Amino acid sequence: MTDSDPNTRPPLDGVRVIDFTWIVAGPTCTRLLGDLGAEVIRVENEQTLDSIRFGRPHPNGFQPPDSSGMFNWLDRNKRSVTINARHPDGLDLIKQLIRVSDVLVENYSSRILENWGLSYEEQCAENPEIIYVSLSGFGHSGPQRDYSTWGPTAQALSGLTSMSGLPEASEPAGWGYSYLDHMAGFTAAAAITAALKHRRATRQGQWIDLSQVETGMALTGSATLDFTVNGRRYRETGNPPGNRSVWPQAAPHNTYPTAGDDNWIMITCTSDAEWEVFCEVSDHPHWRSDARFATLPARLRHQDELDENIGSWTAGQDGRALMQRLQAADVPAGFVQNGVDLVLNDPQMNAREWTATRDHPVIGAHLTDGLQIRLSRTPAHRDRPGPVLGEANQYVFGELLGLSDRQIDELHANGAMG
Amino acid sequence: MGALDGIRVLDCSDPKGHFAGKLLAGLGADVIKIEPPQGDIGRSYGPFLDDQPGPERSLYWWHYSAGKRSVGLDIDSADGIELFLQLAANADVVLETCQPGRGRPFDPFALAEHFPELVVLSLTPFGQTGPWRDYAWSDAVGLALGGPMGSCGYDNIPGAPPIRPTEHHAGHIAGYFAATGLCAALYERQQSGLGQHIDIAMHECMGFTIESSAPWALYEQHPLIRQAGRHAGPQPTEPWQYPTADGRLINIFGMPRSEAGWLALVDFIQERGMGGNLSDPELLDGRKRQLGLQQPTVAMMLADIAEFIGAHEAEEIYAGAQAASAAWSIIRTPDECLDDEHWHARGFFVDIEHEERNRTVTFPGAPYILSRTPWTHGRRAPLLGEHTAELLCGELGLSHDELGSLVAAGVAQ
Repeated sequence: MTDSDPNTRPPLDGVRVIDFTWIVAGPTCTRLLGDLGAEVIRVENEQTLDSIRFGRPHPNGFQPPDSSGMFNWLDRNKRSVTINARHPDGLDLIKQLIRVSDVLVENYSSRILENWGLSYEEQCAENPEIIYVSLSGFGHSGPQRDYSTWGPTAQALSGLTSMSGLPEASEPAGWGYSYLDHMAGFTAAAAITAALKHRRATRQGQWIDLSQVETGMALTGSATLDFTVNGRRYRETGNPPGNRSVWPQAAPHNTYPTAGDDNWIMITCTSDAEWEVFCEVSDHPHWRSDARFATLPARLRHQDELDENIGSWTAGQDGRALMQRLQAADVPAGFVQNGVDLVLNDPQMNAREWTATRDHPVIGAHLTDGLQIRLSRTPAHRDRPGPVLGEANQYVFGELLGLSDRQIDELHANGAMG
Repeated sequence: MGALDGIRVLDCSDPKGHFAGKLLAGLGADVIKIEPPQGDIGRSYGPFLDDQPGPERSLYWWHYSAGKRSVGLDIDSADGIELFLQLAANADVVLETCQPGRGRPFDPFALAEHFPELVVLSLTPFGQTGPWRDYAWSDAVGLALGGPMGSCGYDNIPGAPPIRPTEHHAGHIAGYFAATGLCAALYERQQSGLGQHIDIAMHECMGFTIESSAPWALYEQHPLIRQAGRHAGPQPTEPWQYPTADGRLINIFGMPRSEAGWLALVDFIQERGMGGNLSDPELLDGRKRQLGLQQPTVAMMLADIAEFIGAHEAEEIYAGAQAASAAWSIIRTPDECLDDEHWHARGFFVDIEHEERNRTVTFPGAPYILSRTPWTHGRRAPLLGEHTAELLCGELGLSHDELGSLVAAGVAQ
């Protein structure tokens, strides 16, 4: 097969997405679609720019709106067009764009598009096959549809924040980032690709109403069922359990300190066999015969002593070397890595070429990160950097919508663009 | 009708792929779980019905396997893999989670080549290549190596380790990439008529799911500081979680950005006789209210807000703040979500019949509402081997005697 073989094009080649997203949740979704080959056109407005365009870091100096590394990371493979949806001619441009597009994604508060005159029904009047995704905190129905969320708000309301932390602490550790911005974005991407598949067979579009909090609650199944079936409330049993495992039962299962400042290794023995090997590798074969540690039920009862013993052994050892030693004996062990480790110190990521150098007109040469969905025949791509504001205006207005230069100038002058 | 109606998935996954399979079942695919005859290991994961372990009593299994069918088949045996290949001839998708060097029952690339229309998805801890591809793994080890855990923890507890959020999140994260990749491949197949192999490394999925840690690492090689209940950052920031009068916690991250929103929030607090300093004219300037910069105006604002929250009950604060356009929230436990009428009004929680137990069980439902192709909740999770005869006899034409022999030999269940 050659590059010109249509059967090697990325799977969403030919799909056009109108992207009214901002911050993190929506752009996460459209980044996946862009990687998979969709043509993603961000519709931006100079008066209400995505605050991520101002977000740190600015690797080549603060020169908004095109200098943000955060924006470039989230918005690679996308185009940018500037339209003012509140201007009647701007609204008309958007409607023209809907006619030649397949998907419209937005993550505004739940009444914004409706207020612009772009409800799902109004979109359908332009293009009955459109797939419309509204990604909001509480969804577009229900008594609290006008409440709003950010990632951390949604995580807290879904239960996920409470499920992360040390049992003795007065507050949960929660998530050190907007996990549900990512997860809601992934959920939207899965729903859109499924809806595209349905549409190709039936020519039916649809509306996908997505609530960020619901995407989180859908991930709490075991804990929720423990309540609905067994009547047990989450905190009754000393939850959250720190880094120990309640289910599946396993011990040891914790983080242990290693040499250096704030370095940790996660060690989890999920079977007696792994525990026995661990004792050999750690030069503490007598732990196997110690009545406190000989069986899983005993280890679960004596986790404090178990963890203290193991922690004394790991302290002062090089964490990465220790991980390799344990892994060589087939014990599940992993150094706690941060983002910098993934980029600089991770032999697995390096071997799979997780980073690649790309260029950007303002940021310059920079690293972009990997593709997660590696398709053998129709590979995804990471060729295009994040868009400079309005870089696709000529393409969209001239080529896609067929406006003349004079019409474009007029729309620009009257405030419909920009 | 589901979006994946008519798509058959042979799901040979272990817990790494249980969520991926659940998503496909929810989208309407016919997901056939190929279990070892002694049962999938997930059946041994608690919590359990009435706290009594048993292969049909795992609530983990109930949640992750609802809507799937079960065939008990040992695909490590010669007879088992032969039958599996016959089933694969009629399938659209094979989902598998075996690490390449760990004695897997079939080579996923060879399978995809053998059946040109089949989409074979390998969801593994580190992918099909690389020095770690066969590393021993657990969900927690995955979250440690993959990056999410490195951002979670405490700044206010000396010596506290990074914290791993509980509930199988490595599988959740990778599950969405698997579902998206499969749907995209099936969409492409509608045009080309061709399947392919998809290699998903959970490690790489997590490497993207770390928000600003990624750009700070990619552009500046700058690690972030872990902080309790809020985002890790390049510098320390102000706390977001504050205790209420009724022993709960409120997250105040979503402060109003507009002046009108701010004044509404101040009114809400001052109507209750508190928050005198919030009238400070400096706070009318949104930049002076911006969290994360350690500004004196923010310290003053948060002191008053903390005092107000400490004197009021969580539900009152939550409703009042949201009405004033502040995106504050209560930090709820999963069981508390069932008390919120909003989710019931949207039909989020669903009841599924467990007919052999004569009981109805309430589950968390769909992560999205698709207007035309609604999420399929399906039947309760399958009993071990519940559909073995249906598939092996009904479709492959085995006689019941032949199946009986396979069961006796430990090949089927």
